Amino acid sequence: MTNRYVIKFSKDGYVKYTSHLDMMRVFRRAFKKTGLALRYSQGFNPHPKMGFAQPLSLGYASRCELIEFETQEHHSTEDIMKKMIGEMPEGIKIISCQELREDVKSLAADADAAEYKIWIPSEMTDEELKAALEKYLAQEEIITLKRQKKTKKMAPVNIKNMLRHLEISKVGEFAMIKALLDCGSQSNCSPELVIASFCESAGITTPRHEMEVERLNLYFVSNLQF
Amino acid sequence: MNNMNKLDHLLKRVEKPGRYIGGEVHSVVKDPAAVDANFAFAFPDMYEIGMSYLGLQILYHQLNKRENIYCQRVFAPAVDMETLLREEKMPLMTLESKTPLKDCDLLGFTLQYEMSYTTVLNMMDLAQIPLYSKDRGEEYPLICAGGPCAYNPEPLADFVDFFVIGDGEEALPAVVEKYIECKKAGMDREEFLREACKMEGIYVPKFYEVEYKEDGTINKLCKLYDGAPDTVQRAMISEIESVDFPVKPIIPMVEAVHDRSIVETFRGCTRGCRFCQAGMIYRPVRERSKDRILDLCRQSLENTGNDELSLLSLSTSDHSEFESFAMELIDYTKSENVSLSLPSLRIDKFAFEVLNKIQEFKKSGLTYAPEAGTQRLRDVINKGVSEEDILTSIEQALELGWQHIKLYFMIGLPTETYEDLDGIADLARKIMDLNFKVNGRAGGRFRLTVSVSNFVPKADTPFQWAAQNTAEEFAEKHNYLIQKLKIKGVTFNYHDNTTSSYEAVFARGDRRCSKLLYEAHKAGCKFDGWSEHFKPEAWEKAFEASGIDRNFYTTRERSFDEVLPWDIIDCSVSKKFLINEAKKAVAEQTTQDCRHGCVGCGINRRVKCQMDGILGGKND
Repeated sequence: MTNRYVIKFSKDGYVKYTSHLDMMRVFRRAFKKTGLALRYSQGFNPHPKMGFAQPLSLGYASRCELIEFETQEHHSTEDIMKKMIGEMPEGIKIISCQELREDVKSLAADADAAEYKIWIPSEMTDEELKAALEKYLAQEEIITLKRQKKTKKMAPVNIKNMLRHLEISKVGEFAMIKALLDCGSQSNCSPELVIASFCESAGITTPRHEMEVERLNLYFVSNLQF
Repeated sequence: MNNMNKLDHLLKRVEKPGRYIGGEVHSVVKDPAAVDANFAFAFPDMYEIGMSYLGLQILYHQLNKRENIYCQRVFAPAVDMETLLREEKMPLMTLESKTPLKDCDLLGFTLQYEMSYTTVLNMMDLAQIPLYSKDRGEEYPLICAGGPCAYNPEPLADFVDFFVIGDGEEALPAVVEKYIECKKAGMDREEFLREACKMEGIYVPKFYEVEYKEDGTINKLCKLYDGAPDTVQRAMISEIESVDFPVKPIIPMVEAVHDRSIVETFRGCTRGCRFCQAGMIYRPVRERSKDRILDLCRQSLENTGNDELSLLSLSTSDHSEFESFAMELIDYTKSENVSLSLPSLRIDKFAFEVLNKIQEFKKSGLTYAPEAGTQRLRDVINKGVSEEDILTSIEQALELGWQHIKLYFMIGLPTETYEDLDGIADLARKIMDLNFKVNGRAGGRFRLTVSVSNFVPKADTPFQWAAQNTAEEFAEKHNYLIQKLKIKGVTFNYHDNTTSSYEAVFARGDRRCSKLLYEAHKAGCKFDGWSEHFKPEAWEKAFEASGIDRNFYTTRERSFDEVLPWDIIDCSVSKKFLINEAKKAVAEQTTQDCRHGCVGCGINRRVKCQMDGILGGKND
């Protein structure tokens, strides 16, 4: 028995301004409070075995946040659900709890793609938006600036091969982009790169802070579904 | 666009937006439209600071447990958020329901330190509420304030409608209930204030006018409303054992400075240090029983999932059942993997047992507060600790393997001479010698930190008449100590002089200081307690514009018969006692801890002090 579990939850409303690290604290505290004792890593500085499948940027809502963890004792998934539901701050909703297969190393290592919805206030019509997206995707390379992990400097990258599927439509006053993007340790494309390069290509000047991003789904190499 | 959407746009552009969102576990959700009174509890500093403060959790709980009252929180926005709020002309709002403060019925500030006063004004300004009480009509909330600094409310008298002085657990809900009653009876704010000022602990500054003498001192206080009391009795809860404690505190989402459970073990202190305001204004000592303390600790940890617990009081080991509950608590916290901290522990034999048990391997640091460098000066301030006590205990600490010791001192205390400063250096050297004696060459890793703060005379203490050193005198003393403390292994820290003298102006300021505060606010002062935000030039301009002579408030010694600005407040310790203590200080005479026998502080006029002589008589 491995006692590995995955909790799926959504993040909506103001709680989207809670950072990744603060979310870790929310869960660590909730586990402690409910008495669901986590297993600890071996070594000099043991830490609880718990982690998010993929970090979510500050300010993003999500319908599919996944946290995996390992407990010392076996619990039923219903029991875990029941206990954890009451410990969440406003805007965090626990959707499900499943046991995690033994052969999956970790969700973080298994992550393959992520799907997002991006809302941009826009005056363009549905046709204009579709044409703009077509033009954007027709580029030979889609070059945008990305901060480099090591040097912390902005450097141009070509994200064309990281975009798996994009569609756009007009919903009310918004241009709504649905984007399926590379995600994980192999190749990772942040929606921010798509926003920046698409807006530039389409001549959209709406300030970033007026847009909203929501993560819809995470996909895994192992085809696990949550 | 509504405020919610606009706020969303702002939050995307600021650092740590989590400070402004609310929604934490145990925060209270009510419909502001469905309650009788909306109370905004304002902490004039940032979220991370305010959320570490137990008083907020206590009063939040006390107000919200009443169905008809909704207490919501608000903190000072950081500078980036403030800039955006001003750009977008958005009013400051509560965390819980995002209600603009100006739409609340009451806005209450907690006054924990004088250097937060400009932030109080800045928050009112951000809330789009007129600063001066006289400029606020019925459409604005009533502004109130409480906390330790409210014992001298006068510098804020022009801005605040009423102060709540003393313990807030009962007094604050009572005055809010009174507000509801008056509102329902169709009374206006003036009529409400007339009712409120008759309640215990409530001070309404506008019902008094101050008359000054030619030399600038106060001639007398004239009542403008006959119904107002001659002096305002501080609100006091007679015991804390049965008072509701917030065992389900709001759990901050952005990490607070102290992210831990706090349980107050007792209120008050019997030691009678003459510089200490808390030691006077929180009298008498009111203890929680051992069982209740253990129960509250257990509940607080279970309800929060915290992995740190701290006990709160003015002197942890003075609790009459300390030894017994400390041991039980250590065992309990260990079994729960919770780290326990016991601040302000008197370092005696038992303390070592306790500390050894808590920090089995990790001997982090030990802190001593001799406060003064010589026995003479320690007698003056009535700090009942001898050099021998300190050295014996430090020797023991060294033997047990402590590697870092901190010493706290104050400089500028009444009667201080350079001999007393030499005493600080002598003590440091003696400790380093002890280290060599105990550890020999292996003691090379040992560090001693000497921290010196500047004495600020506070209201309601035996030193309330005393002169403060000038900024120059402080600087000279610092320079002197820098030279004297050039000892290998010793680190010397000291505080900024300018803030200490501003703090002293407000600690003993009168109503005329309202003008100074206003000018400082206009000049852009806020977050004065944060060195990166403190603007000495702006303050200088404010002094000039307001015509306030700081020396009048700081370096001037008052006579015992001078009318003091805070005489309107009766803190329940008698002035006679304070004068007597001040005289004994100059005569270098000590006063015993009242647990060895009553010292006649005057608190017995109001309540029966439980501590009187419980440790039996001691000849001193």
